[in-house]
This record gives sequence, C-alpha cells and structure tokens, in this order.
Amino acid sequence: MVDNTEALTTQKEPYPLLAASGLCKSFGGIKAVDNAEIQVAQGTITGLIGPNGAGKTTFFNLLSNFIRPDKGRVIFDGEPIQNLRSHKITQMGMVRTFQVARVLSRLSVMENMLLGAQKQTGENFWRVWLQAKLVKREERQLRERAMEVLESVGLASKAQDYAGALSGGQRKLLEMGRALMTNPKLILLDEPAAGVNPTLIREICDRIVLWNQQGMTFLIIEHNMDVIMSLCSRVWVLAEGHNLAVGTPAEIQNNPQVLEAYLGQ
Amino acid sequence: MVNYLVFLAISVAIFALFSLGLNLQWGYTGLINFGHVAFMTVGAYTTVLLSSQGIPVVMAVVIGAALAALLGLFIGFSTLRLREDYLAIVTIGVSEVIRLVALNEEKLTRGAFGVQDFPLPLANITPNLPARLVMIGLLTLIAGLALWRMWRWIWKREWATGYLDKALRSRPTISSIILGILSSLFGVTIYFVGALALYDYSYKAGLMLLSLIVLAVVIWALEKLVRSPWGRVLKAIREDEQIPRALGKNVFWYKMQAFMLGGAIAGVAGAFYAWQLTTVYPSNFETLVTFNAWIIVVLGGAGNNAGTLLGAVIFWAYDALTRFMLPAIVQSTVVHSIFPAIELLNDERQGAFRIMVIGLILILLMVWRPQGILGKKEELTLGR
Ligand SMILES: Nc1ncnc2c1ncn2[C@@H]1O[C@H](COP(=O)(O)OP(=O)(O)O)[C@@H](O)[C@H]1O
Ligand SMILES: [Mg+2]
Repeated sequence: MVDNTEALTTQKEPYPLLAASGLCKSFGGIKAVDNAEIQVAQGTITGLIGPNGAGKTTFFNLLSNFIRPDKGRVIFDGEPIQNLRSHKITQMGMVRTFQVARVLSRLSVMENMLLGAQKQTGENFWRVWLQAKLVKREERQLRERAMEVLESVGLASKAQDYAGALSGGQRKLLEMGRALMTNPKLILLDEPAAGVNPTLIREICDRIVLWNQQGMTFLIIEHNMDVIMSLCSRVWVLAEGHNLAVGTPAEIQNNPQVLEAYLGQ
Repeated sequence: MVNYLVFLAISVAIFALFSLGLNLQWGYTGLINFGHVAFMTVGAYTTVLLSSQGIPVVMAVVIGAALAALLGLFIGFSTLRLREDYLAIVTIGVSEVIRLVALNEEKLTRGAFGVQDFPLPLANITPNLPARLVMIGLLTLIAGLALWRMWRWIWKREWATGYLDKALRSRPTISSIILGILSSLFGVTIYFVGALALYDYSYKAGLMLLSLIVLAVVIWALEKLVRSPWGRVLKAIREDEQIPRALGKNVFWYKMQAFMLGGAIAGVAGAFYAWQLTTVYPSNFETLVTFNAWIIVVLGGAGNNAGTLLGAVIFWAYDALTRFMLPAIVQSTVVHSIFPAIELLNDERQGAFRIMVIGLILILLMVWRPQGILGKKEELTLGR
C-alpha cells in the first residue's frame, strides 16, 4: 500500500498485457503447439499468422484455457492464468471468439448479445428475487448498450431475429459484438474476416481501429493479409506449432523464412 | 364422477409439477435426466417418514425438497463436468439404487409393506362454510388467472424469450384457438367439479386445492426465472455450452443449480404423490414414472412451461379416456362382430396396449410436429 505508485509504474510499463511462454500441446502424436510464445502489448493490435494447421487456433485454446496446455505459462494483466478456468479468464478481461462462429441458435440476436455482459445482478438466482427492480433496470441499460454495439457491427435490424437464422458472416459479426459486450481488456479474434464480404471487412477493420483507440487490445488470427497489414503493429508467425518470426508487418512480408513457410512446400 | 375428476385434477397437478422439474433440467438447460423419479422418491419418503415422527408437514416437505436437491448436488458433482451422456447413465442408475434402498432398508422405509398412516395435510379438518367459501374463492382465483394468462398468450402470442422482449411474436392461429377452447372447457369443468368438491369438503378436495396452488406458484416462479438473465444462461448452456463458457459464465455451477432446483421441484411433487396415494410403496417409483414425465415434456414442447402443463393434462386425459373407453369397446358386440380378434385384448393386455398407443402417438407427433404441441416450428429450421 505504501509503495502504491512505484508498484503501478513497475507493473504497467514493462510488462505486456498478455505474455505466454513455453506453451506445448500434443494431440496423440501430433505436436499442435510446440514451445510457442507470444507477447501482446497493452493498447496494440497484434497479429498471429501462419499456414493452415500451424496451431494458431490451438494456441488460442491454450491461452483461454479451453484446452489445458501440457506445459507453459500464460500471464495476463500481471497474473498467471494457465491454471484458471476459462470463465474466470473472461471475467478478468480476456475474451476469445471461435474460428467457426458459434451462436445460440434458438435465442434472439439480442439475447446473444445480452449474455455477453459481465457481473449481471440477474444472473444470480437469489438476486432475481431479492433485487428484481435492479435486475430490470440493468436489463434495460444492457439492451441499450447491446443495441449500440449491434449498430456498430451492422446487425441492429436483426436484433429480434433468431441468431440461428444469420449467415456465416453475420454470425462472425454477432460473435465479435458479443465478445465486446463483456467489456474486455483483450479480445482474441480467430479469423474475423473469414466468410465476411469485402466491403464488410473494411467496416469491421474500421471498427476494430475505433475500439482499439478506445483502449481495447486485440490479438487477431487472420489469413487475409490486407487486414493484417492495415491493422497490426506487430505480427507473430507460427509454423508447425512453433514461433517462426515476429516483427512489423513489413518485416514479416519480406522475411524469407515466412515466405518459404507459406509458399515453400 | 366428482371423486374421479378430483383425482384427475390432483394427478395432473402432481405430474405437471414433476415434469416442470424435468423441463427445467432438460427443456431449458439440456441436461439429460433419465432418473427423475429418484428425486420424487426422496421427496415422498422424506416427507412421510419425517411427518410420521411428528415433524410438521410443511417442514417435512421442505426438508424432502432439500434432500432431493442434495441428491442433485451429489449426482451433479460427479457427472456434470463430464460429457452429457454420463449424466443420462448415472441418473438411471441412481434412480434404481434409490428405489432398491426404499425396498430393502426395511427399518427405515418398511420396504415392500409400504408406509401407511402418515399425517396428511388438511385431512382432519371440517371447515365451516366461510372457510369453504374462501377455498372456493382461491380455486376461482387460480382458474381465472390461468384462463386469463392462456388467452392473453394465445391472442398476443408473446413467445417472448427475454425479460422485456416483445419480439419473436407470431399471429394467433386457428389451431391455437381450438386448443385454447378445449383447454378452457377442461379447465372450467375441473373448476366446477373442484368447487363442488370443496363445498362438500373431503380430504381429496383439500389436497386438490393445495396441489393446484403449489403448481400455480411454481409455474409463476419458473416463468420469472427462465425469463431472467439467470434463465438466459441456462438456455445458452442448452444451445452450446462453449459460448457461455467463453463469456465468463460458470457453466458447471449453473447446470448444478438447474439440476438441483428441478430435483427439489420433483421432491415436492413426491410429497403430493404420497399424499394422494396415502400408502407409499417402492413400486410406486419405478422407471416408468420418469418416462411419463419425459412423455409429458416432449408432448407439450421442451423448454416451455405452459407446454409441460398441457402435456400433463393430455397425458391424464388420455389415461382417463382409454381407461373407460377401451373396456367398453372391447366388450361391445358391434366391434366383436366386425373384428373378432379384439377378444385377445383382455384386461391385462389392455394396460400394455394403452402404453403402446402412447408410443404410437409420440411417434406420430415426432413426424408431424417434432417441436411438441406448443413448440415453435421456426426453431426447427435453424442451423446450429
Ligand atoms: N482437438 C484436436 N484433436 C486432435 N488434433 C487436433 C485438435 N485440434 C487441432 N488438432 C490438430 O492440431 C494441428 C493444428 O490445428 P489448428 O490449431 O486448428 O491450426 P490452425 O488454426 O493454425 O489452422 C492440426 O494438425 C490439427 O489437425
Ligand atoms: Mg484455425
């Protein structure tokens, strides 16, 4: 308590928001992720690229503890999280999306969004009864916020439709909006542009930049190089489960090893 | 006739209650529970055994429901983290174990001799006229509320799934209006018979009123819950549990709550079941009882409390109709002359035949209306 200011400066500045090191995961004989690391600095948009099957999605699963790593450390916001359950990690402010967008089909788009909000009074069984007024008021505020986010991802007109009736691209957008509803410090996006039409991709990119300016940090897996080049300040390359290179988009583009990994075989 | 209809009303209330517990677990949360009767057994035995020891009936029921919930905690703790089929298997096993315990722990449960002479609620009272009128007034209130809710729902079609959600509405359909009229007729009949029975007060009339009150309260509470953010998490788990997991919800704990609450409701249903039977044998709690609840939930439409209630009504209406009609048909000379083989359908076989026809009805329902009677058709076409 006495060294409050000092603790703050030493904690915030030199440490990245997310740092993983020595992560390993094998499925049977396949080493999907093999001693991989990553660092994501606060306030940046960081890219993660690599050929198909490089282990990027598995890497996300390890970071969010959807799959328990065989080995390795993950530090988020100054705390080790590799032993935390997934929902705790989200509660700490790190939320992930899925490569194949997952939606709650038989709930409305709005309800999908509302589920994202954290610390809802009405999610506690007893408080539904004891604080009914507060629950209702919160719900109304959340709806307003959800509507704003839906507008920003272009789904406002679909708010009352079943989420299961959305197209693949729209599902990606819904998933992103839903993740945003958690008010995260860091969002992990797994191929946000896959299956989304080009004009919409531009819009999404603009949104991501806007959210980033508002203080949100992003880690993005993406195959679309235009997206990576225009958004990211730093790109990590994964190949066959381990780190191949890291640098600015320009550096990565001219890295012979990377070119070989992509085109080589 | 009045007595039989009162019996029917109590049965509907008990099985609606029992099935609402399953509907919370399966219809809303997606938990496959093939041993639901275990909760009922625990509720029934706890209530009658404790109240026999002089513990007030109300407290005995509360403890019974709590023990049923505890059983849910116990089952849930060992299986809810695993894949969903484990729960299905374990629940079947547990319900058999519970029944066998009831059968063999003779010191505690008197085994196959059954538990008799336990205190019954509202049994040894002779209410005076004002008291009886108050009871009839309560029945009127419940009947009125039920009818009002039903028609408002048919007219406005508030399929609302969210808290303030007025969305996802559709227009009233002819079939829903016909269904509404039929249900109203049934409701009004039960209401008049019930009022009559309460006027000439008997124990069963009191039990009917009590069970209907409890049913109404439970439906009201469940409706509030499933429309709350709490219920939203349950529905999310049913749809795809990885989503709530990624969104910071403790999936395991929510499943546990749904499982325990559904169990507690079944426990209360068990107490009423015991009071209706007035003698409790282990054979009252066979696996078939679980499957009756499944039939009721599937019939009405999973994830729909009103549908579950309707399912219970239809289930018992079918039971009553076939119980009287089938013997009459078999004995009628006209049918005999056209179809002599009907003789084979003797008394013993009729029971099996009735169950078989239920199976047939379910198959037809699955072909014609897989979402259940009150289920939403649009939901069938949705992709995952
Ligand atoms: N659950 C799993 N079980 C077995 N093998 C898996 C599993 N998930 C991923 N893999 C394997 O791990 C490797 C990396 O997959 P993935 O992480 O999806 O790659 P990327 O997202 O980079 O395309 C692939 O060879 C894939 O087949
Ligand atoms: Mg992938």
